[in-house]
Amino acid sequence: MNALEIKNLTVDFGDFAIRKMNLDIKKGAVTGLVGRNGAGKSTLIKTIMRQQPATGSILYDGKKFSEHEVEILSKTACVFDAPHFSLSAKPKKLKKAFAALYPAFNGQMFDELCAKFNLPQDKRVVKYSLGMQRKLCIIIALCQSPELLILDEPTSGIDPVDRAEVVALLQQFMLDENHTILFSTHITEDLDKIADYIVMIENGRILLNEDKVTLTEKYRLVSAGTMTEELRAIAIGLKQNAFGYTFICDRPVEGEGISSKIPTVEELFVYLSAGNMNGDMRQ
Amino acid sequence: MRIVISAQSGQPIYEQIKKQIISAIAGGEVAPDSALPSIRYMAKELGVGIITVKRAYDDLCAEGWCYSLQGKGVFASPLRDSAERKFTDELTRKLKDIADYAAASGVGIDKLIQILNDLKGE
Repeated sequence: MNALEIKNLTVDFGDFAIRKMNLDIKKGAVTGLVGRNGAGKSTLIKTIMRQQPATGSILYDGKKFSEHEVEILSKTACVFDAPHFSLSAKPKKLKKAFAALYPAFNGQMFDELCAKFNLPQDKRVVKYSLGMQRKLCIIIALCQSPELLILDEPTSGIDPVDRAEVVALLQQFMLDENHTILFSTHITEDLDKIADYIVMIENGRILLNEDKVTLTEKYRLVSAGTMTEELRAIAIGLKQNAFGYTFICDRPVEGEGISSKIPTVEELFVYLSAGNMNGDMRQ
Repeated sequence: MRIVISAQSGQPIYEQIKKQIISAIAGGEVAPDSALPSIRYMAKELGVGIITVKRAYDDLCAEGWCYSLQGKGVFASPLRDSAERKFTDELTRKLKDIADYAAASGVGIDKLIQILNDLKGE
């Protein structure tokens, strides 16, 4: 079942655009939106959150955002790349403000999570480090008790220890099968691990959209000492170094002088992106 | 039940989970008909995707190591039962071949039973 259905979405900035994008985001699953800076990740998220005009339609639970905006947004929480509240406020005050705004806001959970992540509630947010601000935004989003959680680069600027805690919090959220997470990332390994679906975008276009199990079954990162015609025909994002060749391919390859392994999401993205520029994508 | 995931093993994570659950069931560590952890709980505890654990459970069910009850979860299959079931399936398959062969030659079930009884008497 789909949580979000994006149909024929077009956002036009002149020099950059999302053109006729179609994308389904599965309910009860974690989808990772992977792309380089300027690939269109944040634009897509802003468009879903109705902060960016676009043509086409976006549905949640089969209902159009344009017709059920208030209802859908009340079930959605979003963490943008920058805090969307006054930085001069103290978390204590923010808690009251959000509780007034969102009837389902869980104040007790807010207190517990602030304590857990060492965020002093009587200190102005502007005095927080960037990582602390980020954590606070994620905590506020979770405390809204949403069904759909959308996160733009959620773990950037957070140290590894707290990043692991944030990832654990997101997995806790996913224990409820009616919950859905869509996050964007420039690729951080900790987020890759929990994603069920990976959507790679480049220049406002979907490069790949696959579930994680299929990804690990389908793609191989291959190293070969010499290049044959056969290998060249299946190589995606071929790179040459002083000692041989490396590339991604979408089938198992065996042979003498050839080794292959399951690529990480990061490796897959780097090669597919290069392959996209070479025009050797076969999908 | 202990499950250890290795990123270096080169084996897909769902395969690693699957193999370790099989050894827990085969080794008797997971009692027959006892519930396995829920998919979402296991995903959270292991720090892997839900779909990864789901794939492992689907494979285990398809191979008869587990069975799933709609809305209740996934349970370990009794080992003896699965061995017995396998034997009965095999026997049925062989008997069907013989029954087909007999029918094609115009020999009825009664005659087959008589032959079996005669064999027992020998």
